[in-house]
Amino acid sequence: MDIFFYLGLTIFSILAVILRDLLKSAISLAVASIFLSMIFFRLGAPIAGVFELSIVAGLIMVLFISTIVLTSNVCEEPSSQTAKTILPLVMAVFIVIDAFIVRAIMGKLVAIPASRETLPFNEILWNIRTFDLVGQIALILAGVAAVLAFFRTRGADDA
Amino acid sequence: MHNLSAFWTIQMGITAFLVFLGLYCLLTMRNLIKLLIGVEIISKGISLAIIATGAEQQSIGLAQSLMITYILAEVIVVATALAIIINIFRHTKTLDIGDLTTLKG
Repeated sequence: MDIFFYLGLTIFSILAVILRDLLKSAISLAVASIFLSMIFFRLGAPIAGVFELSIVAGLIMVLFISTIVLTSNVCEEPSSQTAKTILPLVMAVFIVIDAFIVRAIMGKLVAIPASRETLPFNEILWNIRTFDLVGQIALILAGVAAVLAFFRTRGADDA
Repeated sequence: MHNLSAFWTIQMGITAFLVFLGLYCLLTMRNLIKLLIGVEIISKGISLAIIATGAEQQSIGLAQSLMITYILAEVIVVATALAIIINIFRHTKTLDIGDLTTLKG
């Protein structure tokens, strides 16, 4: 069952790269996100799965599609003919090497010792990783400021 | 200490593939939106690595809390990058990085 999720994630990620139509490419990316969120659910991380599904597959795709509609839906060819022919070959070689390495090290790597987690998720987020929340608030404010700055309409003083 | 499972190794293989795919997209494509899609694919690989390692080490709560911070950072990066892309298109009427030869506003 799990293998289908990993296959789906890989295939739709490849489609997102190779499709020339930007809209289809963005939709493929959203489908890959849905598969990734299913993997998160299967690995016992439902909260990360919900965030991946609602924010990455939902919100980010809305932003992507809005941008595509506001700009142009045409994607140019790869930069050079050499890149177009050589890089897929490099990619194929990489897949083969990756498969060999994975096969060679499978089950042999030693884990760094870690104490088994006993606290529930809400305790970890609100008590242990409290400082992350300050960073998240700062990030949200920085993002809002950046988007506002980019969409600022030119006032009479700037003209 | 224990040996990491075979399933975790396969997940890391998929992570490596996704990161490579994103880099391939960044190196070959000229369209700005496509480049951002490449960055997104790399970030999917990293997300998978965080959660898979958390599950393997039985620290899934910590992995999830890190994941939430990571997703938030990802959204801010994408929103800001798309705002920049829209502004570039307004100024130059193109999304081809080859045509962006000046920083003049």
